[in-house]
Amino acid sequence: MNRFGLPDLGIGIGLRTVHFGEILAGKPALDWFEVLSENFLDTGGRPLHVLDRVVERFPVALHGVSLSIGSTDALDRAYLQKLKALAKRTRARWVSDHLCWTGVLGRNTHDLLPLPYDRATLRHVTRRVKQVQDVLERPLVLENPSTYLAYARSTMTEWEFLTALCDATGCALLLDVNNVYVSSFNHGFDPRQYIDGIPADRVVQVHLAGHTHHGTHILDTHDGPAISEVWKLFARLCARTGPVSTLYEWDASIPKLAAVVREAAKARPFLTAVAATGTDDA
Amino acid sequence: MTPELALGGLQRWLQAVVESPGSVGRALASREAARLVSPGKTHEVVLPSARQSAAERVGVYQGMYLPRMYEALEADYPGLAHFLGGAAWERLVRGYVTDHPSRSYTLDELGRRLPEFVRRARVRRPAFCHDLARLERAVSEVFDSPETRPLAPPDFASVVTRDWERARLVPVAALRLVELDHDAGEYLDSLRGDAHAHPPVRRRRTLLVVSRRNYGVLRREQTPAAFALLRDLVGGLTVGRAVARALARRGPARLAGADAAFRLFRDWAAMGLFRAVAGERPGRVAGRQVARGTNPQEAGLTRKRV
Repeated sequence: MNRFGLPDLGIGIGLRTVHFGEILAGKPALDWFEVLSENFLDTGGRPLHVLDRVVERFPVALHGVSLSIGSTDALDRAYLQKLKALAKRTRARWVSDHLCWTGVLGRNTHDLLPLPYDRATLRHVTRRVKQVQDVLERPLVLENPSTYLAYARSTMTEWEFLTALCDATGCALLLDVNNVYVSSFNHGFDPRQYIDGIPADRVVQVHLAGHTHHGTHILDTHDGPAISEVWKLFARLCARTGPVSTLYEWDASIPKLAAVVREAAKARPFLTAVAATGTDDA
Repeated sequence: MTPELALGGLQRWLQAVVESPGSVGRALASREAARLVSPGKTHEVVLPSARQSAAERVGVYQGMYLPRMYEALEADYPGLAHFLGGAAWERLVRGYVTDHPSRSYTLDELGRRLPEFVRRARVRRPAFCHDLARLERAVSEVFDSPETRPLAPPDFASVVTRDWERARLVPVAALRLVELDHDAGEYLDSLRGDAHAHPPVRRRRTLLVVSRRNYGVLRREQTPAAFALLRDLVGGLTVGRAVARALARRGPARLAGADAAFRLFRDWAAMGLFRAVAGERPGRVAGRQVARGTNPQEAGLTRKRV
């Protein structure tokens, strides 16, 4: 159980436009949906209508890609206010985004760009997480990104940085197990060390997804099933966290809803097992 | 020129590289990037991995930037992208995002200036492309506009006859009036299905109402007389003044008579184009709800889809 008392929502998937019709027409075997915040901040049309119908039937959490928590630009206050309003409208169980930056000089590359992990960056991000939490009036949930480069100036591992950030701000974690695997290949660290190193009681949600191996590096493409190594890491994580809200991401070459639901359901035996046996950290 | 950059400098450098077109080598050597980090010192800022050099690792991010922009803009302008075709479309987008990089948290705002940009761009049939882009932008805006309940025929009927002349019809948010020199709608229609039997591009003045019903976007062509009258009404003229102007026009924009106006009002009501009947001054309401805004542009303009 996480230290925030946030509920274990079970197994969910990301709410995607191509599935709107199937979701409204049927009863997908899912416990919850993750909603990409930016898709609903400025629409008053069908997407918002569908979201309202989904919220009537399922719990949701908001997941953003444009908070840019690590940017040296000022925080976008208008964005934060819209995010807060959407969280209220959807009764979002939590609001998450990524440990990254997306742009500076008023621009947005719409990519999750990596941060150097050092004391100066930690101070900078700590200050901004606190500002965001003041606006949202709830703990921010931050996700570890997939990264494809590392900076020479970094003095901490990503999991050390996240741990220190959690301690300094009281924020929570969304641990993307696939991202841990992707980054471990790209940077040459042991992903088990990452899983063992994060503060398990801060983890309120887990992401699982597929990726694309390019030989020299792995890209986090969300376009297929998760590989067995990722499931093993998930099991290792569950042994530390206990049952935890788990979400399967499928964002490219998206198949029918049933196929995504089937992939997400593969998480259930792991969660059931840990519910029965308890956690290693207990 | 030093790798000892503060976080802000580091971010400006990486962004400059990521946004630069061409090879990563060329991007690292671009003026803004090289001002912050000499291309030869990239490895002092970014560590190489076991399989990639520092430059190649930066190149992973740089190589994904433009494809993301192509994809985002194609989602909003599928017709324009199809008409121009791969290489010309990508050339247009490269030029566009160089001049107008995203400055919003949502990619849906990215294409806001594309219609104006394409008019001046070196593309084939720029005037047609301009019309096509304007129509696609209108469709996007209507798709995402706030939902406002349109007036039903009984709401119109409740207005006392003598009040009509001074009444103003308040449009729903999901409404755009689009005046084109080409039949861009015909081209968009031809994209449906797999046949793709595209009509030849031809100049034809086309007057369209783009609106929404049950969350679906509709396009309906109007006669010059109907379009001119509707534009006046949406612009805030009272019914009396708008009809008087319509009857006084010359040529095809002249309304045939009061009966024609009645038929148009009936059609527009059925299309759900109005949300309120207001008095001559904002706030004086003869219909169902107080209406202070008559500007059809009052709707939010952005959208995003997955």
